[in-house]
Amino acid sequence: MTEPAIAATGTKAAPKLVLENIVKDFTGRRHKTVRAIDGIDIEVGDGEIVCLVGASGCGKTTLLNIVAGLEQPTSGGVTIDGEAIVGPGPDRGMVFQSYSLYPWRTVSENVAFGLECIGMSRKDRAERVQELLGIIGLGRFADNHPKELSGGMRQRVAIARALAPEPDILLLDEPFGALDAQTRRAMQEFLLLVWQRTRATILFVTHDIEEAILLATRIYVLSSHPGRVVEEITVPFGTNRGPSVLRDPRFLDLRDEIQELLTTQVER
Amino acid sequence: MTDTSLDPVPGSGPRTPPGTGAGTAHLGDDPAAPWRRSAKPGTRGRKQGALLRLRDEIPFRTRVVLACTGIAGLVVVWLLAAAWSSGAVVVPTPLATWNAFTDYWRSGELSTDLSASAVRVAEGYTISMVVGIVLGVAIGSFRSIEAFWESPIGFLRYIPATALTPLFLLWLGIDESPKIALIIAGTVFYNILMIADVTRAVPRELITASYTLGAGRLRVLCRVILPHSWPGIIDVARINLAAAWLMLVVAELLAAQDGLGYRMIQSQRFLQYGRMFAILLIFAVIGMFSDLALRGLRTLVAPWARP
Ligand SMILES: Nc1ncnc2c1ncn2[C@@H]1O[C@H](COP(=O)(O)OP(=O)(O)OP(=O)(O)O)[C@@H](O)[C@H]1O
Ligand SMILES: [Mg+2]
Repeated sequence: MTEPAIAATGTKAAPKLVLENIVKDFTGRRHKTVRAIDGIDIEVGDGEIVCLVGASGCGKTTLLNIVAGLEQPTSGGVTIDGEAIVGPGPDRGMVFQSYSLYPWRTVSENVAFGLECIGMSRKDRAERVQELLGIIGLGRFADNHPKELSGGMRQRVAIARALAPEPDILLLDEPFGALDAQTRRAMQEFLLLVWQRTRATILFVTHDIEEAILLATRIYVLSSHPGRVVEEITVPFGTNRGPSVLRDPRFLDLRDEIQELLTTQVER
Repeated sequence: MTDTSLDPVPGSGPRTPPGTGAGTAHLGDDPAAPWRRSAKPGTRGRKQGALLRLRDEIPFRTRVVLACTGIAGLVVVWLLAAAWSSGAVVVPTPLATWNAFTDYWRSGELSTDLSASAVRVAEGYTISMVVGIVLGVAIGSFRSIEAFWESPIGFLRYIPATALTPLFLLWLGIDESPKIALIIAGTVFYNILMIADVTRAVPRELITASYTLGAGRLRVLCRVILPHSWPGIIDVARINLAAAWLMLVVAELLAAQDGLGYRMIQSQRFLQYGRMFAILLIFAVIGMFSDLALRGLRTLVAPWARP
């Protein structure tokens, strides 16, 4: 995949998020250090959707946590627009692998949490929450509690909650992993819609190769134990993607190529 | 479908799908399959009786009937004991107990004793809960505070609080303060440790998600950890309240001029068995109602956490 991208948005023009030679060690049993990530370099351009794919346990969540500022890398650095990350902040919204809604808050109160943190007035908050609930199509469920929602609905609320403070970068950790195929498809279209509307920069983790090709402008394929980048792939589809992409021959080629890469990783 | 499921000969009959040879019978046809052992012939799976399902609901009426039978059983045991009652072991009948209760009430002593005891428990247990919440939440939230408090609390809590009674009486005199101190000493360590556990049970993702939404530590503490912990804290309060009454009675048995425990000792002196039984039942009723009240408070404070 060396030919230039046909319509990928400004890939190399302005790298917004830069991960440079990230290494992460964990202390395992009996104080043995386990290297989870071994020298990963990743660049994400402004307004790009970049996907990370890789086998379970290859350090994808750890990598997102490092970008979010929730964990510190053992060595290496993360910068956004040249600024070093020292801790978590509302400029990087995150949607977690498992549901992380506040069970005591209603849907609208959940979405409003980040807005409360930045001190937005009650009136502005209500307006913004209303707007976001409209986007995720859950306006009717504003006053319901999370346990009254289905898995897909909860995940949409989590995305809306992460979008509310208008983050620079959205970090998504297998957000649709627990959903059925139909809901998954709907959520993928929803994410593309959000992306086209907000022009957010998105770093997305998934197990699902088709999902990665459908959503991403670029894909990083990771190896496991320790995690390294084995391939960087530019996806040759523009920003206006529809279900027709799924029947594009290039889509199928890409899918097979990534599948091949992952399989050799597992066998290794 | 005819009754082929009862067909004793495996692999015969119309159930062999076309394309599979006669020797490759469908798995379900094997009468010796291991899973057959737990099922009745002609059925699959084990049917469960209505009454003894693990952690499953039972019909409401059955529930009411069982509850009433339990109470009735208790009364029967009491009646039998009263019938067998002799000179050495006196057990008053329910009627005698009721009469003693009304006497106790009419004399006005009941209300003085009850309010004296209730005020002591309320004061002591409130202090104990406040300390428990502050220290428990702090210990459950900060590893540094946990490291500091864990060993002293772990050490002190093995001192039986009742053994402190003589010391407290010497130090604090015989008025209200030693009783309240004893209630605190008997409950505060359990409150702290159990509330710390409740706080530690707040899912990590909720806390990290809050950070990524821009919350600072104070906001996470007040808006995430506390709201998530309230139902658990109320449960702790409910469970340890019994220990508060225990300590109260110990204190009142030894040194008091009023209170239910004091009245118990007085009744012993005058061999008022009926009154002693009445006081025991009063304790049970108070406990039952405070339990109900705290359960109500839990649903009120945290309707989302209904078990
Ligand atoms: N806190 C920790 N302590 C020790 N080891 C850890 C810790 N967190 C992660 N690891 C290890 O680091 C590796 C990467 O974990 P990570 O959760 O990032 O994987 P992942 O790629 O997100 O996997 P999955 O796709 O299953 O979510 C794993 O081998 C895991 O055992
Ligand atoms: Mg993960």
